Amino acid sequence: MVVFHSLPLNGQLSTDYDTIKIREVVISTNKPNSDPAGYKKATIDSTVLSNYSNSNLSEMLLENTNIFIKSYGMGGTATPAFRGTGASHTLIDWNGININSPMLGQSDLSLIPVGFIDDIQIYFGGASMSLNNGGIGGTINLETKPVWNKETQISLNSGIGSFGRYSGFIKVKAGNYRIQTVTKGFYQYAENNFRYLNNEIGIEPVWQTRTNNQVRQHGFIQELYFRRGNNITSARLWYQSADRNLPASMLTSPNSGERQFDESLRTMLNYNAFKGNSNFSFTGAWMLNRLNYFNRLASIDSRNLSESLTLKTGFENPIGEFTKLKIVLDELSVIIKTNNYDHKIARSTTTLTASLVREKERFGTTILVREILDRQTFLIPDFSVGLQFRVIDEKEYFLKANISRNSKIPTMNDMFWVPGGNPDLKNEYSLSSEISYEMNQKISKSLHLKYDLSVFHYSIKDMILWHPGEFSYWTADNTRNASSSGVESSASVDFVRNHFTSCLKAGYSFTRAIGGGSKIENDVSVGKQLMYIPENQFNTSLSCGYENLYSSWTANFIGKRYITVDNSKYLSGYLINSIKTGIKLPLKRSSIDFNFNIDNLFNINYQSIAYYPLPGRSYNIKVLVQFVK
Amino acid sequence: MKNLVKITVLLLIVVSCTKTPDFSNLHYSFGGGVLILNEGNFRGGNGSLSFYSYDSSKIFNDLFYNVNGRSLGDVPNSIVIKGDKAYIVVNNSGKIEVIDKASLESRATIRGLISPRNIGIINDNKAYVSSLYSDSVAILNLTDFSISGYINLRRTSEAITVVGGKVFISNWAGGKEIMVISAINDKVVDSIKVGIEPESMVLDRFGKLWVLCNGGWARQNYAELIEINPPTNSIEKTLVFPTKDASPSCLSIDGIGQTLYFLDNGVREMDIGSGVLPLTHLIEQKPGEYFYKIGINPVNSDVFVTDAVDFAQQGYLSIYTPKGTFISKMKAGIIPGSMCFKLRINS
Repeated sequence: MVVFHSLPLNGQLSTDYDTIKIREVVISTNKPNSDPAGYKKATIDSTVLSNYSNSNLSEMLLENTNIFIKSYGMGGTATPAFRGTGASHTLIDWNGININSPMLGQSDLSLIPVGFIDDIQIYFGGASMSLNNGGIGGTINLETKPVWNKETQISLNSGIGSFGRYSGFIKVKAGNYRIQTVTKGFYQYAENNFRYLNNEIGIEPVWQTRTNNQVRQHGFIQELYFRRGNNITSARLWYQSADRNLPASMLTSPNSGERQFDESLRTMLNYNAFKGNSNFSFTGAWMLNRLNYFNRLASIDSRNLSESLTLKTGFENPIGEFTKLKIVLDELSVIIKTNNYDHKIARSTTTLTASLVREKERFGTTILVREILDRQTFLIPDFSVGLQFRVIDEKEYFLKANISRNSKIPTMNDMFWVPGGNPDLKNEYSLSSEISYEMNQKISKSLHLKYDLSVFHYSIKDMILWHPGEFSYWTADNTRNASSSGVESSASVDFVRNHFTSCLKAGYSFTRAIGGGSKIENDVSVGKQLMYIPENQFNTSLSCGYENLYSSWTANFIGKRYITVDNSKYLSGYLINSIKTGIKLPLKRSSIDFNFNIDNLFNINYQSIAYYPLPGRSYNIKVLVQFVK
Repeated sequence: MKNLVKITVLLLIVVSCTKTPDFSNLHYSFGGGVLILNEGNFRGGNGSLSFYSYDSSKIFNDLFYNVNGRSLGDVPNSIVIKGDKAYIVVNNSGKIEVIDKASLESRATIRGLISPRNIGIINDNKAYVSSLYSDSVAILNLTDFSISGYINLRRTSEAITVVGGKVFISNWAGGKEIMVISAINDKVVDSIKVGIEPESMVLDRFGKLWVLCNGGWARQNYAELIEINPPTNSIEKTLVFPTKDASPSCLSIDGIGQTLYFLDNGVREMDIGSGVLPLTHLIEQKPGEYFYKIGINPVNSDVFVTDAVDFAQQGYLSIYTPKGTFISKMKAGIIPGSMCFKLRINS
């Protein structure tokens, strides 16, 4: 997957005059985990994120990366797919702690407001092992972090858009060089009653209005940071809930009155101590996730509650001049209460990770070894080895390569769901390799060029799939293997001169993800592209800014996706264009920003999941007011 | 002459560039055969209609789409032929597609049904439709293809068998009763307590109603095969399966109403006069196969078995002689399920 990173977008381009009018402060953090050599990692910085403060994570990733997002539409569940792997192979971390549902093993990106996040790091494939285990495809790490200054800052962001969409976001930041407090809150409601063309209901296509599609979300996050010398202590609390009606497919009538209520409470205490080149960190996180699903027609009242406690401690210490040793111990305890299991279930997993990173002159090496103790059983150790070579001395031209073995333990639903859960499941594991080339070059005072190219291969063994069992109900089993290979590339050009700024970006990925090794005789799915994995993805954007005005255009192409295992049927590819324009008016040290955007400019009729229509052209107006004192 | 050559060349180019429509799937025999519903994946919208032709001994897939230019719907569950029409009950689309049984062209779509499962034709003008989720059976007007009313059973419904002026409807999901309805006034007149989850029913040559109760989805009870005397609504015979592991389904009967067939890790057969359940299989289910539905040719008693494989890829239709000897196997759609035999007469 190609990720465009570190480049401002859509009028938030970092220009000289911006810096004068709005005192932007470089956000820095003393992180205990330095980046391992030889791996691909991308960052979406805070300026890009600020453009999406009223959006959810799936919308932001869709427009700024080539991570494929499988979405049921506005307000519906949205899950990521890295490099041809599944949603449960992608970890979503919050400051290095996994927040995927322990029951489902995945996160719904439509429930994560971008406004709550200060920084996003994307770890591809083996790179994810530096954070957690199980991210076979990769890890998206969401960071919330302080800005150490004496400013008091209040940001208000409100938006109104098509299909009854209203949103509001507030951020209050205060403190000094020793204490910081950040409070963020958001509210969003969307009717999502868009019109779509249903060509499945009769002989002639019929225009219909999406019903039972309302979404109401709200939440807040409170962060407290204390700094003493080089040591930082932080406490974070994140609450949010989402109440949404789930619309039926285009083929289903009448609406079954499906509804889902998600609620989460996440707390985290963190301590980082730094001494010279050494550091020590401790994180304790307690999280509660509630997911209740109701289906009036089918009389389903599914109530699910999971609680997890993560204790993670680690230290990093230099060994000699060029080598660093890092040891991390991570203990995860999970308790599930649900009316879908026979009884309350608890699980405990302990992970010990040791890594050595050596960087000398133009060469870098990483060796990582991990041992997992899951339910009192030691698993086969995982490992990863990365190599890095700086092609030109003191220039950011890198050749990188890595190989990894990464395990993913089964989800709680895979093991304990009634009926069909299988407590005897083995771990899924992948053997992956990757070679990449990255360059980051300032061509001149006004021109900056970035480029990367990666080739990857994954071989996933003992994949867990649900299939019909002995008594006609579905059961989970390690039924097959799969592999995914591909190429991804991205390029960006920044141009800044006087009061004019522009940024052109383009990315392409080719992913061949195929099913293999099946227990079924003459299995026609062997050798075929996996369902809902596009072979081709392409996106591009052009952003321009002149003095207070800014505008941008983005285009996102998703290739055809097969919807049957034998590849006999598919959803056509689509190209979605969006434009945005706005003006940012400085008011002393504060500012007010008006912007207007049109999504799906050419009113394309398209689907991400078969028979779940996505909206046509839509309009949004946003106002962002920022007070700084 | 030069212009003529140019025009000829141009025409050749135009003709060669014109894509010939692919009608290969439409070249099926309009004669006798079997209509097969492929359920497709739940919410996948990939249900389809296949036809096995006796004349060509071939199967033709995806016919509803090819004929009507749109998907059949989400989980087509059952099909019945009445007169010159076939009625396809599409469960998760909440509709019934009425098609011409010969051309397969859509004649009407009856919408607004709650999770419909099976249809029982009462007469030329009226039919009942069972429901997995609703407590009522829908009454259809077959003249204008509308829903004319409902019969409140206070429980969900599954199989429907019409016996004279009575209609027997099983309460399958979590139930253990057969509801008896008067087809004259559409009222519930009686109920018969049977085993857990009566799943399928057939009528034998003596007018006796056979009910297969599968014992519950988690096999918490023993499955039972029950014989009911429709005039008195009384149970005449109960055969209990020997173990809870038995998972019988899809009770069927041959054309003369003498031999019962059902699935239980393979195909089993039983004479209606037998006092014991069959211990052996007529047709063994091999590893890698998943027998899903059966149908018995009413003319020669050939056994048609669908194999859902892994419930994701296209399944198979296999044909066996009445003695269980394999005849042929061919690829159908995804999760091939219910079948309806279209006799050559008037077809």
